Amino acid sequence: MVVETQYYVLLSAAMFSIGVFGLLTRRNALRFLMSVELMLNAANVNLVAFSTQWGNITGQTFSLFVLALAAAEVAVGIGIILVLFRSFRDVDVTEPATMRW
Amino acid sequence: MVGAFDFAAAVPLLPFASFVVAILAGYFTPRLLPKGGAIPGIIATGGSLLLSGWLLVTVSGTATFNEEIYTWTTGMAGETFDLSFGILIDPLSSYMLVIVALISFLVHVFSLGYMNDEGETGLPRYYAGLGLFSFSMLAFVMASNILMAFMFFELVGLCSWLLIGFWFREPGPPSAAKKAFLVTRFGDYFFLIGVVAIFATFGTGLFAPRGDELGFPQLAADVLAGEAVPVVSNFLGTIGLGAETWFAIMGLLVLGGVIGKSAQFPLHTWLPDAMEGPTPVSALIHAATMVAAGVYLIMRMFGFYAQLPRVLALIALVGGFTALFAASIALVKREIKQVLAYSTISQYGYMMLALGAGGYVAATFHLMTHAIFKALLFLGAGSVIIAMHHNENMWDMGGLKDKMPVTYYTFLSGSLALAGIFPFAGFWSKDEVLYEALIHGLNDPIILLAYAMGLVAVLFTGFYTFRMVILTFHGEARTETAEDPHGVRWNVKFPLVVLGILAATVGFVNMAPVKELTGMDITYLHHWFENGIHEVTLGEYHHLLEEVAGYHAADLAPFLPAALSLGLALLGAGLAWILYSGPEPTAHTDKLGSIKTLLYNNYYQDEYQVWLAEGVTMPIARVADKFDQGIIDGVVNAISSIALFSGSRIRRLQTGRVTNYAAMLTLGLVVIVLVVALVGGWF
Repeated sequence: MVVETQYYVLLSAAMFSIGVFGLLTRRNALRFLMSVELMLNAANVNLVAFSTQWGNITGQTFSLFVLALAAAEVAVGIGIILVLFRSFRDVDVTEPATMRW
Repeated sequence: MVGAFDFAAAVPLLPFASFVVAILAGYFTPRLLPKGGAIPGIIATGGSLLLSGWLLVTVSGTATFNEEIYTWTTGMAGETFDLSFGILIDPLSSYMLVIVALISFLVHVFSLGYMNDEGETGLPRYYAGLGLFSFSMLAFVMASNILMAFMFFELVGLCSWLLIGFWFREPGPPSAAKKAFLVTRFGDYFFLIGVVAIFATFGTGLFAPRGDELGFPQLAADVLAGEAVPVVSNFLGTIGLGAETWFAIMGLLVLGGVIGKSAQFPLHTWLPDAMEGPTPVSALIHAATMVAAGVYLIMRMFGFYAQLPRVLALIALVGGFTALFAASIALVKREIKQVLAYSTISQYGYMMLALGAGGYVAATFHLMTHAIFKALLFLGAGSVIIAMHHNENMWDMGGLKDKMPVTYYTFLSGSLALAGIFPFAGFWSKDEVLYEALIHGLNDPIILLAYAMGLVAVLFTGFYTFRMVILTFHGEARTETAEDPHGVRWNVKFPLVVLGILAATVGFVNMAPVKELTGMDITYLHHWFENGIHEVTLGEYHHLLEEVAGYHAADLAPFLPAALSLGLALLGAGLAWILYSGPEPTAHTDKLGSIKTLLYNNYYQDEYQVWLAEGVTMPIARVADKFDQGIIDGVVNAISSIALFSGSRIRRLQTGRVTNYAAMLTLGLVVIVLVVALVGGWF
């Protein structure tokens, strides 16, 4: 059975929207990170889906790079969260508000 | 074959080496520097003197040298010009090189007595300055193009600043040094514009033809003779001036530099103040380096000036007026060096008078004799100043004749030369200057006026010279120091004796009246300048003066003018003898009444120049400053304050909360998508 591409696109759009929603509403830094992961993977789904549709391997290869990059980003993100926790005894992202002009 | 010309560049480079040695060794290993740098300086200038002598001998065999040494900016081929250093050795420059090298050599020797023996500090700095000064002047003299000449002209000015301000811990010298620098810079500013104008007009700055390249005086001659010179006619077409007018403007611009450096009226005020420097430096400045540079520049480009009768008349007038004006101030001065300073201004006025009257040989002749007797007088004055423990007031001296005979007799020789008494050097040269001015002046009232002023100045010269000699050396000692003067050593006496003998004899190289009288062909200097590169020789200058400038010499025997000037000089000297001789001379200046105040204040030249600076230039500068601060800066500040203000408001968008940034990102994305959608017509 072949799933039509538009369903994948719908899935991806849904994942991305969930990610954006999480980013805008949550205050917990870990959830922030997860939302960002969701958005990244929404893009990955798109890449893989269109790659299959056109029978071209480039998109799938690219998604592997995105995965690797996402892993790196998570490492950095978790590092930041650790520092956040050490300084504020909390992982609330609205708490640190002094890093501006 | 290795000839003298292969070593031409070494003439200025030797003193430069002594400068480098003095400054490096003086800084790092002062103990290794013999006599604080005097020995390297003496060796270097002695070497320069020998090489210059060799060059002189080579040039006397009618050889000349005009080569490019180093091109430091290459122009676009066919469109612009190269800027380069070059060496021009011809009768004029080799003659001048010998004078400069001789004087700086003797000044170095004399400095041993004046600086080292007097226990001055900072000697390496002093000798480095002397070395650089000699280097600059020698390089200026042999410059083959006007840009190089300008660069070394400026370097000479810088050295004078360094040396006049040598005793910079006292209040007077730094201020005098600044004044010398600024006043000559004022003239040099015009010179700089003149250099640019010459390059723009002619596309070359060469003084004399090199290969098939013509120098700018020759190009100017071609243009005035009506030949087609595309470069020049293009330029003249662009600025829309006639050739003669424009050439005269350029001549006047360069003349500005000359008037500043050679201390001619009205830019002479720096020179008397420059007496604040050490006396050997004064000798160097007045006799051979700084002040001579201005007059030498006119001689170097005389082929250019010889075509500009109006500029020549102005030069003669300025020269004659300066000669009289400065001599009248020298009449009343109390300090020995002040008298000499004003006499220098006056004597350079004579040279300008000669040049303006077309007497090229007379001017070069007077330049040489003056270099010798003025160096002698300054060094003699230096010897007196050592003896008097640095008191320069002539009224505190008196009776030094028997205590320092070497100084007295050499000083007397220089004074007789300065006053123009037969048969000392100054008589022959000053007589020739006045004779040239007279024979040309009979056809031109302006030059005749200049001649008349020069003639009156002879009387004044005789008077102030002998007033100085009598007050310093004759009569009875008026103070305790004068009764028991400090002795001087060989290093003071040696230069004095050399120069004293020269001051008495050097005039014999060009005895024009004797030639007329006896018919013997003994005007060697005339013959000297007839040789060389044809376009820059006496014959060509005469041709230009007569054909282009319309100068014609009246036919007059030289005896009567000579007798007249000698008579006036003797009259002045005799007057000084009557007024000031005797054991206890009294001041007679009070008899001058209100003129005395005028003369003591140097005709208020400083005052009016200060007024020009403070009363005229300052308000203009203030208005300009207001305009700059208020309007120009105001506009710039207003624009930047808009950015500052809006920045301070807009930055409030940055809250520091990550959620807000995320919201803005999302909002921005939505807005972009909406805009793209609307513009793209998706709906």
